[in-house]
Amino acid sequence: MIAVLDYGIGNLRSAQKALEKAGAGAVLVTRAGDAAGAAGVVLPGVGAFGRCMEALRETGLDRAALDAIEAGTPFLGICVGMQMLYRESEESPGVAGLGVIDGAVRALPEGVKRPQMQWNVLVPERDDSALLDGLGPEPWVYFVHSFAPERTPEVVATCDYGGEVVAAVERGPLWATQFHPEKSGPVGARVLANFAKACS
Amino acid sequence: MDLYPAIDLRGGVCVRLVQGDYARERVYGGDPVEVALEFEADGAPWIHVVDLDAARTGRPANREVVAAIAGAVGVPVQAGGGIRDEFSAEALLDSGVSRIVLGTAVVEDPRLLRRVAARHPGRVAVGLDSRRGEVAVRGWTESSGRTLPEVLSAVEDAPLGAVVVTDIARDGMLTGPDVKGMAAVLNATRHPVVASGGVGTLEHLRALAAVFAGGRGLDGVIVGTAIHEGVFSVREAMIACAP
Repeated sequence: MIAVLDYGIGNLRSAQKALEKAGAGAVLVTRAGDAAGAAGVVLPGVGAFGRCMEALRETGLDRAALDAIEAGTPFLGICVGMQMLYRESEESPGVAGLGVIDGAVRALPEGVKRPQMQWNVLVPERDDSALLDGLGPEPWVYFVHSFAPERTPEVVATCDYGGEVVAAVERGPLWATQFHPEKSGPVGARVLANFAKACS
Repeated sequence: MDLYPAIDLRGGVCVRLVQGDYARERVYGGDPVEVALEFEADGAPWIHVVDLDAARTGRPANREVVAAIAGAVGVPVQAGGGIRDEFSAEALLDSGVSRIVLGTAVVEDPRLLRRVAARHPGRVAVGLDSRRGEVAVRGWTESSGRTLPEVLSAVEDAPLGAVVVTDIARDGMLTGPDVKGMAAVLNATRHPVVASGGVGTLEHLRALAAVFAGGRGLDGVIVGTAIHEGVFSVREAMIACAP
């Protein structure tokens, strides 16, 4: 069973459905205790970093996320759910992130339309990435974001949007994508299937 | 250029209108969710959904079907039709739709557009449907008395995801899109432009994919009738849309 952390931000039905299509049982979890013992944990997120962090803390699900990561449970952050893994974000100065990846989230480069809301192609960086396994040549995925994490050693894929933009990170069982795998067609479905496999 | 296969809903089923005329409706069988899943399986990067009942009356009639489509497919859904107040806009965005298209509301209440677009940057598109040079409103049943360039310049500084430009005279006719008109739109706005109306052959798609003006091409094209009538498949259309 995969726990999708539901802290009241946005509609999580498509994420849950997409995980189920990928062959994983997925439940929306609103209380920290209900995520304990899950085979995997998904942290989605849309909207502003500060508002997401606040809601995550208010529901106590920040603890569920940190516990799962500390225990080495397969973990997938999506979009703002990825950004919250970092120390902080330029979008919401003064709001602390979960801080499990040692870096910050920055605005997309000057001179490009913000948000990036489009299909873009991933540029993989590592051959041994379990997240990227089997994506094939030219993996197109769907992005909606105005901010992105700075480069850290965890980066496994980038995309080009007015410069190099971090698109996916992986550190052991801790995975995150700036793009939306649940809206990225067959490539996104493969990423979720890879995650489901890591959880089994 | 992204392909947006279209699903037009009336009374919960897939239909197509000819030139936006509600009296000239063709019903295409099948569950709209199944149709959307087929489009996705064929590789469509977007699904475009219009609530035709709401477009005319302003009352959401097919919203549950729109939400069911957005929840079922693994690609972004763009939805429009009859979104004339903030409540409707927020409800649709919250139902899993990736981008909403505001039409009548933009002309009649520009502040509504600004408020919703500011709260959801990139997730709001402006749908401008023109007939003989004037922007039409209320499910294309009335003219606004304003020209396309006038309305485009009024929304230039809003944080929009796209402008969707439809030529009503060509919609559902399969007679070919307004290629020159689309180049003029690209010159008139800095927003991404999605073309709609009149695509009937793969050659039409190739012509739109080749449009280049203002230093860029079209962002997308909406195709309805040609796909529903089986003139070409989503897969064939995708190839024609690739530059």
